Amino acid sequence: MENIEYLFAGFAVFWAALFIYLLTLQARLRSLHREIERLEERLAESEGKPAPRSRTVGNASSAASGSAEPSAPPANS
Amino acid sequence: MSVLMAVVGKDLQLAWRNREGWLSAMAFATIAVLTYSFAFDLATGDVRPLLPGVLWTTFLFAGVFAAGQSFQDEVDDGTFDALLLSPVDPTVIFIGKLVANLIALLIIEFAQLILATILFDVGLLTPQLLGIVLIGTIGYVSLTTLLATMGGHVRGRSVLMPVLALPLLIPLLIGAVRATGASLGLEAGTGPWMLLLMVFAAWSTLAAVLLFPTAVEQ
Amino acid sequence: MNALAILLARVYEWRWVVLPPVAGVAMMAMIVGALVAAPREIIEGEVQRLMYLHVPSAVTMYAAFGFTAFASVMFLWKRDMRWDAAARGSAVVGVFLCGMVLATGAIWGKPIWGVYWSWDARLTTTLILFLIYSAYLLARSVAGPLDEQAARFAAIFAIIGVADIPIIQMSVRWWRTLHPQPIVFQTNPALPGEMLIVLLIGFIAIFALATWLISLQTDTERAAQRVSALRAEVDHREIA
Repeated sequence: MENIEYLFAGFAVFWAALFIYLLTLQARLRSLHREIERLEERLAESEGKPAPRSRTVGNASSAASGSAEPSAPPANS
Repeated sequence: MSVLMAVVGKDLQLAWRNREGWLSAMAFATIAVLTYSFAFDLATGDVRPLLPGVLWTTFLFAGVFAAGQSFQDEVDDGTFDALLLSPVDPTVIFIGKLVANLIALLIIEFAQLILATILFDVGLLTPQLLGIVLIGTIGYVSLTTLLATMGGHVRGRSVLMPVLALPLLIPLLIGAVRATGASLGLEAGTGPWMLLLMVFAAWSTLAAVLLFPTAVEQ
Repeated sequence: MNALAILLARVYEWRWVVLPPVAGVAMMAMIVGALVAAPREIIEGEVQRLMYLHVPSAVTMYAAFGFTAFASVMFLWKRDMRWDAAARGSAVVGVFLCGMVLATGAIWGKPIWGVYWSWDARLTTTLILFLIYSAYLLARSVAGPLDEQAARFAAIFAIIGVADIPIIQMSVRWWRTLHPQPIVFQTNPALPGEMLIVLLIGFIAIFALATWLISLQTDTERAAQRVSALRAEVDHREIA
């Protein structure tokens, strides 16, 4: 059975790449779905509030830092 | 037609006003030729086999960088958006830019041909070779100009430009290098390569002119 | 909506039910066929069985890039970001398949040609395609998922890329043949029947696999778009 190690290598490379691709894709999809849920909840909450957060004069910086939350997973890819 | 002339004139004026960008491209091209001279030890022996490759990679890199640079200046000044809002046909705007870039690049390339003629003692200023350079430049300037206008607002675009442009330009590179080599006596005929160059120049110019309006639609 | 659109929408809904099993079964059939059922090729030995992966991947890769170009045209026409997601989705799968063509080609080539890479015209063209569509994905991902201008530019680039393919093929072939060549790769022009059957199964398998992957990837791009839109809305609400 000549050249069988190359045959094995070829198929192995294909399946390994396929699995790595599928796993990464699934992971990304799941994290995106979680993020969507989280953001939709936040939206629903802020719709429940009577009025949008107001800023008092001179307190712009504290209001701004108050409304900023620890940032979500950065990458869009 | 007079609008076209006006737009070409405008772009040439702009190129002159932003000549630092073009001068940088000229300097880059010169340094590239020198770099190749040292890297491939072009001081000794018959360098003709390497010359077509040296020349055309230099031309392509200089062209890609210069197109991006010159467009960036126009975007920064805000004049490009103003021009798009004017009643001038976008196709005319594009052709104007194309012709101006072409002229600027031909000047740079001519200077490099003179330089290489002196450095390597090879007769590069023949009509045939100049014709090849002309058609080859037409071939790549349309795509690089289009890609430059498209890349306007993207970060990291200066490195991205060659990555986007060069794979598309490989047929042009093949044709231009082979044709140049043939005209220097390195291989049999310029025929098929000239055909490839002309087909590519026609295709790329047509594609770029047709797609530019879509690219800049608001 | 006309009947065809309704039918297509129905088919689209059923994709998660249909695609994974079909792809899975077909891939198994292809593996069995390639490794066991297909006859052994005399000259090249066992490694020739990589053909059943390599050739269908190449054809499907062209189909994927063709779909990217089609989706790009649709995007430029309809200005619907869903077409941008579809274009990116099939480009990712196309680049993946392209990488597989190159890898299996190199592994197949090593025992046959003696080298992993011989600048064979078709593999070289495939490499150029890999670069073009990797550049497409790179340029597109630098901008956000909902950046319509970037999507437009990417679409134009994809269209130019696909139009360039025949010219690239012609020029690379001339580059290799109008020039003395040390190694020439010969394939048997006429494949025996059993091989053709396994090859056909291979086409179906890889095509089904690619369709499934493109659906997954496109849905992922759509999810990223949704996240981007939601973030913008949350920012808008909380800052307003």
